[in-house]
Amino acid sequence: MKIKLTVNGLLYERECAEHRTLLRFLREDLGLTGTKEGCGMGECGACTVILNGHAVNSCMVLAAEIDGATIRTIEGEANGPSLSDIQLAFEKNNAVQCGFCTPGMVMSVKELLAENAKPSADEVKEAIEGNFCRCTGYTQIVEAVMDLTGRPEEKGELDHV
Amino acid sequence: MPMLYEFRYLAPKSVAELTATLREHASDGKILAGGTDLIPNIRNGLQKPGFVIDIKKYDGADRISYGADGLSMGPAVTINDLLRFKDARDRYPVLCSCAHELASHQIRNRATVAGNVVNASPCSDMAPALLCLDAQAVLRSGNGERVIPFSSFFTGVKKTVLQPGEFLERILVPAASAGVTGRYLKLKRIAGHDLGIVGVLMTKRDGEIRFGVSSAAPTPVLVDTVTTKDSPDEAAAKVLASVSPISDVRGTKEYREHMIGVYARRLLAEVR
Amino acid sequence: MFDDIKTGDLTWVGHETGRADLIEKLTGEATFVSDMELPGMLHTQLKKSPYARARIKGIDVSKAESMPGVRAIVTGDELDYHIGLYIVDKYILAKGEVRHYGEAVAAVAAETLEQARAAAEAIVVDYEPLPPVLHHMEALKPDAPLVHPDLGSYSYVEAVFSPKAGTNIANHMKVRKGDVEKAFAESEYIVEREYSCPSVQHVPMETHVAIAQWGKGDRVTIWTSAQSPFTVRNLFCHAFKLPHSNVRVQVPYVGGGFGGKAGIGIEPLCAVLSRKAGGKPVKFQASREEEFSLLPCRSALTYRIKTGVSAEGKIMAQHMSMYWDAGAYADYAVNVTRASGYSAAGPYEIPNAWVDAYTIYTNKPYGTAYRGFGHVEFHWAVERHMELVANAIGIDPVEFRLKNALKPGSRTLTGEEILPSTGNVVKCIEEAARRIRYGSITPEEEARQKKTGWKIGKGIAALHKAPAIPSFTATAVVLKMNEDGSVLVNLALTDYGQGTYTSVRQIIAERLGFPIDKIKVAFESDTDRDPYDWQTVASKGLVLSGNAAILAADDLLEKAYAVAAEALHANPRDLANDGDKVYIKHHPDKSVRFAAMAVGLALPNGNGIGGPLIGVGRYIAQGLTNLNKETGEGRPALDWTYGAHGIVAEVNEETGEYRVLKIASIFDVGRAINPDLVRGQAIGGMMQGLGTAVCEGYIYDENGRLLNPSFTDNKIPTAKDLPLEVECAVVETPQIDGPYGARGVAEQSMISVAPALGNAIQKATGAQLTHMPMRSEDVWRTLQNKEPIDNWITKSPVGSCRSAPEARRRDE
Ligand SMILES: Cc1cc2nc3c(=O)[nH]c(=O)nc-3n(C[C@@H](O)[C@@H](O)[C@H](O)COP(=O)(O)OP(=O)(O)OC[C@H]3O[C@@H](n4cnc5c(N)ncnc54)[C@H](O)[C@@H]3O)c2cc1C
Ligand code: FES
Ligand code: FES
Repeated sequence: MKIKLTVNGLLYERECAEHRTLLRFLREDLGLTGTKEGCGMGECGACTVILNGHAVNSCMVLAAEIDGATIRTIEGEANGPSLSDIQLAFEKNNAVQCGFCTPGMVMSVKELLAENAKPSADEVKEAIEGNFCRCTGYTQIVEAVMDLTGRPEEKGELDHV
Repeated sequence: MPMLYEFRYLAPKSVAELTATLREHASDGKILAGGTDLIPNIRNGLQKPGFVIDIKKYDGADRISYGADGLSMGPAVTINDLLRFKDARDRYPVLCSCAHELASHQIRNRATVAGNVVNASPCSDMAPALLCLDAQAVLRSGNGERVIPFSSFFTGVKKTVLQPGEFLERILVPAASAGVTGRYLKLKRIAGHDLGIVGVLMTKRDGEIRFGVSSAAPTPVLVDTVTTKDSPDEAAAKVLASVSPISDVRGTKEYREHMIGVYARRLLAEVR
Repeated sequence: MFDDIKTGDLTWVGHETGRADLIEKLTGEATFVSDMELPGMLHTQLKKSPYARARIKGIDVSKAESMPGVRAIVTGDELDYHIGLYIVDKYILAKGEVRHYGEAVAAVAAETLEQARAAAEAIVVDYEPLPPVLHHMEALKPDAPLVHPDLGSYSYVEAVFSPKAGTNIANHMKVRKGDVEKAFAESEYIVEREYSCPSVQHVPMETHVAIAQWGKGDRVTIWTSAQSPFTVRNLFCHAFKLPHSNVRVQVPYVGGGFGGKAGIGIEPLCAVLSRKAGGKPVKFQASREEEFSLLPCRSALTYRIKTGVSAEGKIMAQHMSMYWDAGAYADYAVNVTRASGYSAAGPYEIPNAWVDAYTIYTNKPYGTAYRGFGHVEFHWAVERHMELVANAIGIDPVEFRLKNALKPGSRTLTGEEILPSTGNVVKCIEEAARRIRYGSITPEEEARQKKTGWKIGKGIAALHKAPAIPSFTATAVVLKMNEDGSVLVNLALTDYGQGTYTSVRQIIAERLGFPIDKIKVAFESDTDRDPYDWQTVASKGLVLSGNAAILAADDLLEKAYAVAAEALHANPRDLANDGDKVYIKHHPDKSVRFAAMAVGLALPNGNGIGGPLIGVGRYIAQGLTNLNKETGEGRPALDWTYGAHGIVAEVNEETGEYRVLKIASIFDVGRAINPDLVRGQAIGGMMQGLGTAVCEGYIYDENGRLLNPSFTDNKIPTAKDLPLEVECAVVETPQIDGPYGARGVAEQSMISVAPALGNAIQKATGAQLTHMPMRSEDVWRTLQNKEPIDNWITKSPVGSCRSAPEARRRDE
């Protein structure tokens, strides 16, 4: 069937199998491979995108059911050539290691900040509990968000004994 | 990269069209709401419907409202729609605290309340609240409508009274249940999102105590025999008499029983 | 090298600098193998065994072959390639017999994934199920079925390993130090306990994935999500008897590895499919379920320790028996056994020691390297044991640790002498204890206990680990100067998030005296273009590649200075540089720019001198030896990184639920080249250690079927599982032969988190946990003295708290 989607402000029209997930549609049909797959079961959040304003697991959404929708993915996050505030905060706070969870993580943070400009650390943790990260241990991700929203005092340091 | 098994996608645009489609595909069709149960099942080959029938596309499917009848939720109302609805938060705090315990934020953005109960998993987090709040399921098919209280909705593991061709059109939580307070204790393996090892909800209205228990029997369980006069031990005994947990990878029957007892005692002690 | 320069005198080393790889990762531009799509590429799906052990009587692919889109089907029958890292015991696809649940028996490459799946489902395999041997202790019994009846005929690395033909023992490693029997006889106390842990998964967020293209003339190109491109190439060439120049392995961004991608994996399978499909590129990506059961995991362990202690609390003798569950194939498990064997006592001095460490085949998914390389598992045992021994003899566990800790002058199990520069475990333990206020309950904690009714306990656990590497492990770094005087760095060590490239970049900038943004480390490793590196494992990356980087920088400068000396008519000794140009120290106005020399300097008359500036640095591990096979004597350790964790936990005694309130992690890293990255490794490893401690583990049924091969029932920690407070600190006792004094810390962070938690739980409640993970039910059962739940292999117990407290006084 024919699917029309606005992704990161651009309109895409594609012929697409009815059982295709949004994740595969983005990655394989539109070539937007920034969004990752970690499980295909809704558990890990690597596939998180923003669908009509809300963060969802794109591995559990059919492309067919969101004809006409507006999607934001990691590819639309930077402001032209420069990084967005969220990206800059992640960069500054060493919130990325292998980077595989990062696109989904950034999307979850984006929805959180759209709804809650000054989240507490607990609210940040709750917003990203559906995004597994095996590398960072999450602390520097939480610190990045706190830093961005004006509570850099939450940042920890490596102490020298 | 895993993929889904093939199916055709249908999106009826009215209730009449939906009932007709459901009748036509009574044997080879599956309703799609948030898809958080259905899509993994199709991916894993546990279900291979020929037709997936999207229930979200008719006008009003996503309506959530509060009125004289109480809280009404259409089949496309997600867990987060519920949590974002002020009347629900103000009047049905119990429903919202159970909803909050369900899965992760992303899942809650998609998973529907209706799908959660129709899926009828013993570990459903919404069922204990709906049971304790006397909620009703409004079911519709080509033959018309019937209203079933959730206390007689679940018939077994992943089984309900829904007939082929029938769908859950609305969940009604009566106005009389507004203001009921309570607390839901859910034991998990990690602090993050997880299915419950056991879940115990206790509600209180005008001195009446109820327990709703998940992951403790083939269906979610309602216990309405406990009174405020009961000691915590008596309450726990009554709750335990109504459940029959099993041993599985999440925990043993013995531990589940122990924890249900602990939670029942703890919850009752808090209100006494 | 340069270990004695103070961090304050250094510009880049020891300071935070931006990471080199973040923009790509933050924008989704970083390309992982899972993102790659080549023209004409085929997709793979597998037929896998539902049995733990079965004879393959026949495979019928006739229906599958004629299905739409199918381009190649391979089965084990038609392949005769043995693969193996240390013991060559594995086929590409099961042949004759399947040895574990989830093992691949046939593979299909087709135009689309859907077509491949349909064809794989249409393959019919006729099995004769055989009784599996599931538990590694059962596998030791004389009448146990043999997982590899032909073990005696396999080739293996004979200098290092000792498989036992006719048994399930893939390796037996021994340490014999001093006179154990005599020392036990003289001991005041003897405490003997047994500890265990199940298999777990690494869970890289990107599952294993590879693309292979078998071109005409047997030229093979492989793109893979792997840690060690040269090892993939080497083992691949051995298996297929191809010249190394025919095979090219490329590794772009990698979505996590943790040891699970250290060796060779699915690459040969993709390659044989591609060959059969006429040279089309073939991709296979494991599903999350396959990641759990097809690909390797971490070995389970049973560890029995008997300790003799003097009246003063000094350890006199220790007898250690380690039983490692290799699963169906030996892979890295034999070397895990070896490395664990020589480190088996933890960071303590054991004057009389006896270690028997066995690697045991069973019919389960096979074990491999996993962050810590055995040390996470056996430190669980050792550090719980230290606690229980201290309790049994009535001395404070931290005092007991400090009394027995390795100190300058101590000798390790293999006889190596500890020097002042080796590192300082005492300081790590003391600092961890100080940070959690070990030994006391603060007024706030007291108030919290009153309010919650949960008991607070504090525990410490120490750790040590050396890189487990061949004695001659080597690497190289090449620096190439660009036309503008900036520098491109090539190395085949992979950076899949640890940040090694960032640190190497700092080291090079420091040594060259260049601004850091003039240095670029090329992402993507490529065996055709990069200099050799053995493997990205063992926390040796920064140490070996950092040293090679220093030497490469020196080499580059030497070459540049030679050109400059000629151009400036100066002696190279009198030259210096400011990052942009080389000048004469006593005539700073006389200079020549690097940019002018980068690809050859043109003299004013047009003559050219020099040529493209390239610096090469090679480094090989120094002074390591093989271990004596009978006594374990020798020098296995490039360096020892010491550390300790302190944990404050609160426990509900009625339910077994607990929370980690605080963790303090201290490591002697020699020098923190980049403090932010050290902290990233420390916290990331700590959380992975908590996962192992709290919830992770494979659960099998009695037939060897894995019951929890997905995130639904194999949870990993989320952001909500973070301890309330997380502190990390470093001790810096410089490693004389480390780059600027540094040692590795990537694995160490994960080690001993579990026993620190176990010790804290015990302090709070008295629960003597000896099995990890410690699920709330396990804690509850232990407190209730109930039989452990034995669902790691249902009905075949490996549960918690199984061993009796067997402490006794000598004269009793
Ligand atoms: C990662 C993950 C974590 C989860 N964690 C939890 C948890 O903690 N607690 C919990 O309770 N659940 C959990 N779940 C399950 C939960 O997401 C679902 O039960 C959800 O609420 C189902 O709603 P849905 O709209 O997604 O249903 P769908 O998947 O769309 O449908 C579920 C089933 O109900 C049928 N159906 C749906 N709507 C109707 C209707 N109106 N009438 C008739 N039939 C209908 C469908 O045909 C299907 O069989 C989790 C799921 C995932 C993937
Ligand atoms: S890939 Fe979608 S949640 Fe894991
Ligand atoms: S950075 Fe590797 S999974 Fe998060």
